[in-house]
Amino acid sequence: MTTTTAAPSPLYQWWVLSARTLIPAVRGGELVTALVAPLVFTVGFYVPLQRVIALFTGGAVDYGQFLMPLIALQAVAFTAISAAFLAATDAVHGIDRRFATMPIAAAVPLAARLSASTVKCALSLAAAIGCGYVIGFRFAGATAAVGFCVLALTIGTVLTLGADVLGTVFRSPEATTQALMLPQLVLGMLSCGFVPIDQFPAWIQPFVRNQPVSQFASSLRGLADGTGAALTPTLLWLGGILLVVVPLATRTNRRQR
Amino acid sequence: MSPSTPAVLVEAVTKSFGPVPALCGVSFAAEPGEVLGVLGPNGAGKTTTVNILSTLLRPDSGRAVVAGHDVVTDPAGVRRAVMLTGQYAALDDMLTGFENLVLFARLLGLRRRAARARARELLAEFDLEDAADRRVGKYSGGMRRRIDIACGLVVPPRVVFLDEPTTGLDPRSRQRVWDLIAGFKAQGVTTLLTTQYLEEADLLADRIVVIDRGTVVAEGTPAQLKQRVGATFCEVVPVRAADVPAVAHVLRRFAPAAVVEVAADRVTIPAPHGAGTLAQVATAVAAHGVAVSDIALRRPSLDEVFLALTAARPRFEVVA
Repeated sequence: MTTTTAAPSPLYQWWVLSARTLIPAVRGGELVTALVAPLVFTVGFYVPLQRVIALFTGGAVDYGQFLMPLIALQAVAFTAISAAFLAATDAVHGIDRRFATMPIAAAVPLAARLSASTVKCALSLAAAIGCGYVIGFRFAGATAAVGFCVLALTIGTVLTLGADVLGTVFRSPEATTQALMLPQLVLGMLSCGFVPIDQFPAWIQPFVRNQPVSQFASSLRGLADGTGAALTPTLLWLGGILLVVVPLATRTNRRQR
Repeated sequence: MSPSTPAVLVEAVTKSFGPVPALCGVSFAAEPGEVLGVLGPNGAGKTTTVNILSTLLRPDSGRAVVAGHDVVTDPAGVRRAVMLTGQYAALDDMLTGFENLVLFARLLGLRRRAARARARELLAEFDLEDAADRRVGKYSGGMRRRIDIACGLVVPPRVVFLDEPTTGLDPRSRQRVWDLIAGFKAQGVTTLLTTQYLEEADLLADRIVVIDRGTVVAEGTPAQLKQRVGATFCEVVPVRAADVPAVAHVLRRFAPAAVVEVAADRVTIPAPHGAGTLAQVATAVAAHGVAVSDIALRRPSLDEVFLALTAARPRFEVVA
């Protein structure tokens, strides 16, 4: 029988807990979903809309190139939603509570959930880029590709942190997931990642132009094209989300209240 | 830790949730290797006490020391010495029983190989080898509770907190959990067992602390608590209910009329001399020619003790 009284290394614990989330994701088919979702988005959006957009814009817009950033965003948002599901499950099953009574630093379980989700995010993003290439999307160069991936993963991680906090607070895997599907759908559809801004009715254009998904999509598009993107609004949105979410994450993951 | 130092020491601990007082100065101690039963009705403060001792909650005032570590100043030390299992089995449903055990073993610092070996050892010990490769989500309630307890034992703890470990289990599963708890005692692990089942405390606990409305209302061995509430009674049940008055008449010889309790089918008197009283009563009733279907000494059950201890004072309202 092994007796350990020394505190185990937080790094080792982080590694063990990250693997704990990823192994069932591989086995349970969740990872397959993460890979297939971008394909579904691509088929669902590109096939019906490609002609319509070509018709309305007089062929000025290459829809594959145009749509790809939104597919990437949908892919990372999808991963964030599954992160909310996992966080809520851990909270409601008492796993958070149990970890809190063990010699595990308070930040370790959260860090493990985040890193596991980032791995899924990266895989889903790779699938999205693959689908993009099929519909004619191309990066302007290696720098463009790296910039695009870094920003997309950053957005994914920030959304994941937010989703994780919501899941932990509301402790209901189903309700949290459904509640997050709605903004994903609405903000995705009503964004200029989907359709050029001037195709929207004038009254809704201010909302469409300024909402975060549009800003994220424009920034990603600019990075991919190498045309230089307006990054400031995107970074402000991400900073704003972090400003709300980080204190909440600190609060919810603290113990001994 | 010297043998005289309690494994768990609680001194005048208070805790409120907003205006609601949960603990109003709880004090008790558990000696090393002892099974201490913490009894109380719902909302008495049992779970709050366990949460404070397992570092989930911070006491408002007072002191709590577990295995020599203060829960406020050295929570990390407490976490290395304790294991908590609750009424909700805290396991990863997506992993198998074996994987859950390996997970907890590795989280406590065991390397992969050692963790796997320990997991197999525990599966054998807990008679869960057949279920080792099934997902915990598909386990029955009793199996979940057992694997949950096993996960807390990958590194032997010095103090175990069992928060209502058999709530919602069928009798057979309950018996198996009881066997496990008896095993803790044999291994010298200090166990704090909160329960609503008096039978459970009676069977397993060396000593019992009764908590009601945030304070300790009684403390002692199960036998002491029973004694505190009432003496032993002698109960005589005649074959024919018509003989009840005759039996009552005989029994007035042994007790003042005021304490002879006459029911429809039986007569009960205090039995201050226990078996001695019983023998005398049996002889006297037989001499009177009454056929008796049952004659026995009756001790108060722990249920009666519990009701007597916790119902003595009026329920208080929330003081805002």
